[in-house]
Amino acid sequence: MSEFLKGNYELKVEIEEKKEDAEHTATDEFERKALSRLGGSICFVSKKGFLWTGDAPKS
Amino acid sequence: MELGRRIASRLRDATFDRIAHVGLANAARHRPHIRRSVLELATLPLGAGDTALVVAAGPSLHRRRSLERLAARGFRGTIVAVDSALAACLRNGIVPHVVVTVDPHDRIVRWFGEPALAAPSADDYFRRQEMDPVHAADEVSANRSVVALVDRHGSRLRVAAATSAAFSAVSRCRAAGMELFWWNPMYDDYERPDSVSRKLHGENGLPCLNGGGNVGTASWVLAHAVLGKSRVGIIGMDFGYPPDTPYEKTQYYPELREMLGERLGEAFVHIENPVLGEKWFTDPAYCWFRDVFLEMAREARCETFNCTEGGVLFGPEIKTSTLEEFLDHG
Repeated sequence: MSEFLKGNYELKVEIEEKKEDAEHTATDEFERKALSRLGGSICFVSKKGFLWTGDAPKS
Repeated sequence: MELGRRIASRLRDATFDRIAHVGLANAARHRPHIRRSVLELATLPLGAGDTALVVAAGPSLHRRRSLERLAARGFRGTIVAVDSALAACLRNGIVPHVVVTVDPHDRIVRWFGEPALAAPSADDYFRRQEMDPVHAADEVSANRSVVALVDRHGSRLRVAAATSAAFSAVSRCRAAGMELFWWNPMYDDYERPDSVSRKLHGENGLPCLNGGGNVGTASWVLAHAVLGKSRVGIIGMDFGYPPDTPYEKTQYYPELREMLGERLGEAFVHIENPVLGEKWFTDPAYCWFRDVFLEMAREARCETFNCTEGGVLFGPEIKTSTLEEFLDHG
């Protein structure tokens, strides 16, 4: 949020990020990184059968 | 949901993102060399009857001495092996009718033997992996033996090669005298007009096979959907690790350690094998392979017999049996 909102004043109190939010952000980051490097050697397409040999000719 | 399962549930799209561009680039490179479709395999006399045995390369293949037992018992049906199980098959005097290769990364050539390898590779993948343990002790010497074995038997081998497969691996197969039969991986929903699978099929005319995330599942799909086998046994299809395996000996350990640090252990999912009463564990990728296999097994027009005698693959659509029980009824 601090990337987008900038104030021209200074607060008298210190705002602390909630610990839960920080943990969620860390978990999301773990998962994002994991997804970019894990996975299979070939794709899987759900509910599309096992073999597609092309469209059947139109009669 | 546990971290490992949560990552697993998102690997379908992640695999496409990571693999599709490399696979498609490989397909373009292979195209001038493509002569035969995988569908031709169904017209060849590959073993007797309606039974096939798929040989995957999970740790149970060695723990249960499945190949020694297969060689001793004999089998008249069709044997389909994944590339990483080829050398173990040949060492045991088993020449598979078909070898399947899909992985787009060049290191996979090692499963067919790398004639030019003179020193251990910087990447410790082959020393660490569980698929063919002979590479762990002395990978240069092990590789030399694989080269000799594959050269000796190459002219008797047929390879079902995905167009995504590494160019180096396919070139090695060709140099060893193997016959190549080609297919496209199904990348996405071919009914969509912007489908990558549809475009690829339009370019090379090859059938698209739903690979299920890994070469083992792709081999099982080939056995029933291409070769038309109605009884398919599987060995070495663990999709997991035996209880005593250290995390550092698992497939994705370096990546998981780097990413998760002290939280590494959270990535592993522990599952009790109801037949063995052992608690095996699986990582996010293998966990996804397992879930996909179970989904595909519900749609398959074949009986599937898991003769692995280990691992985490079990469910209502999969019969569990010993290898001997399966072979004796083949």
